Amino acid sequence: MAVAAQQAPRSLIASGNVRTRKFADGLATLVLWAMAASIIVLLAAFIVYMIYLGGHALTWSFLTRPPAEHEAGGGIGPEIFNSFYILILTLCFTVPVAVAAGVFLQEYARPGTFRSVVQFSAESLATVPSVVMGLFGLLIFVYTFHWGYTALGGALTLTLLNLPALVRVTQEALGSVPDTLREASMGLGGTKWQTITRVVLPSAIGRLTTGIVLIAGRIYGETAALIFTAGVSVTGNHPYDLNPFHTAETLAVHVWYTHSESVVPDVDRIGNGSALVLLIMVLVFNVGARIVGRMLTKRFTGRAS
Amino acid sequence: MIESPAQTAAPIQDKIVADDVDVFYGSFQAIKSATLAMKAQHVTALIGPSGCGKSTFLRALNRMHDLTPGARVTGEVLLDGENIYGADADPVVIRHRIGMVFQRPNPFPKTIYENVVYGPRIHGENNKRKLEEIAERALRQAALWDEVKDRLSRSALDLSGGQQQRLCIARAVALDPEVILMDEPASALDPIATSKIEDLIGQLTEKFTVVIVTHSMQQAARISDYTAFFHLGEIVEVGPTNQIFTHPKEKRTEDYITGRFG
Repeated sequence: MAVAAQQAPRSLIASGNVRTRKFADGLATLVLWAMAASIIVLLAAFIVYMIYLGGHALTWSFLTRPPAEHEAGGGIGPEIFNSFYILILTLCFTVPVAVAAGVFLQEYARPGTFRSVVQFSAESLATVPSVVMGLFGLLIFVYTFHWGYTALGGALTLTLLNLPALVRVTQEALGSVPDTLREASMGLGGTKWQTITRVVLPSAIGRLTTGIVLIAGRIYGETAALIFTAGVSVTGNHPYDLNPFHTAETLAVHVWYTHSESVVPDVDRIGNGSALVLLIMVLVFNVGARIVGRMLTKRFTGRAS
Repeated sequence: MIESPAQTAAPIQDKIVADDVDVFYGSFQAIKSATLAMKAQHVTALIGPSGCGKSTFLRALNRMHDLTPGARVTGEVLLDGENIYGADADPVVIRHRIGMVFQRPNPFPKTIYENVVYGPRIHGENNKRKLEEIAERALRQAALWDEVKDRLSRSALDLSGGQQQRLCIARAVALDPEVILMDEPASALDPIATSKIEDLIGQLTEKFTVVIVTHSMQQAARISDYTAFFHLGEIVEVGPTNQIFTHPKEKRTEDYITGRFG
């Protein structure tokens, strides 16, 4: 294995070919970095602009007073309340069903017709546009059930809309748990159910919570489906209304409504202020998702993820 | 050192006996008519080249193949004379009596303490005092107590690989099983961690019957009392370890242990 004696002397200095490759490498890094950075810039610019437009509207009375029909000075208190109320109702329906379906698909269902059909149905449901889902809700809850515009009808429509995404989130969260942990639990004589409840779900809780809170942000900002189901007004004499069979306009719907239908003179103030509140809320959900996910992971696994 | 089985006075009982065991993955037959008696409170090593079926055979001894879609086991595996594949035999009970330690350390992402008491808990032990006693005893048996006694509430994932594997052994031991199956328990560990695990296996035979799969013939020679040589899904030869390594009867065994293939 002797090295050829007359090999040309080699140096450590970069030659033309190496320099070209290094230039391409540097250029690629720069372009990719710039693309990534532009996302931050876009978000920051968007937030700054929204604050510029709506910031002056944010007063205590605006955040707590009920909206006005014709005169200036209306607030968005009931809308903020309704947004949370419908969100909580929706999560109460969505989370149990979606997590159960996700556990079934990921942990129980063997590859076969039934699993394929469930999976296909979930994916098809996920592609239904929210406005179409809203019309469906209108047909079922408003007309067929004779409920009229209700918080419950809105929440059930949003459940249909978000179920597939949460099933997916559950499946992915469970799929990230290594099989070696399932094997370890079963190898110690655990039943399948014990393995799922004591090992798989606790290991997946961080991802699961993050997914749920992100979907909560989507529910909070959903508009089209609610216009047809929860309505565009709040209960007149009782603005903070817990009755699920009463109409319940949410903040996102209010943003649309003020800009397109409203006859109050201070439309811009109310519309921009509402939009800013909505944006802040959704951002809070996104940041909150990360914090809560990390906390739960630490709580259930004794370790920061 | 472990004394040679031939010098032991009382006759050694068979703890777990595989009788004419076949294992299939779909239509592929991974184990062909394997028959092997594993002695109580001794270490039986299963050796052989990669893909020879030694791990597959091991997993047949506590019905882990039940979890693999498409896997099928025929024949009998007798634990104290009772067939674990019998109609009434329950995998949950079987795996309580026959524990398993896997190739890669697989502690749960829980605290050290919660890992050790996981087995007793799922089998219904809820008494805090008892669980603490079990945890200490199991960690001592796994030679890990002194290293972790001050940080039982820390995550098991913060331990080193070797410590994690001993934790997995403690987790298996905490159930007070009769047999412990080990699937190349040291193959992912460095030499120092490996030697700790090997010392530990010797001590475990005071209470338990150990069956260990290893790809290292030196390891088999160091720690086992009996050795079974697997090749192409068959058990080629079984015997006391020193005999297998010094006077193998079969040509294939001799070829393997002298390094002619493997």
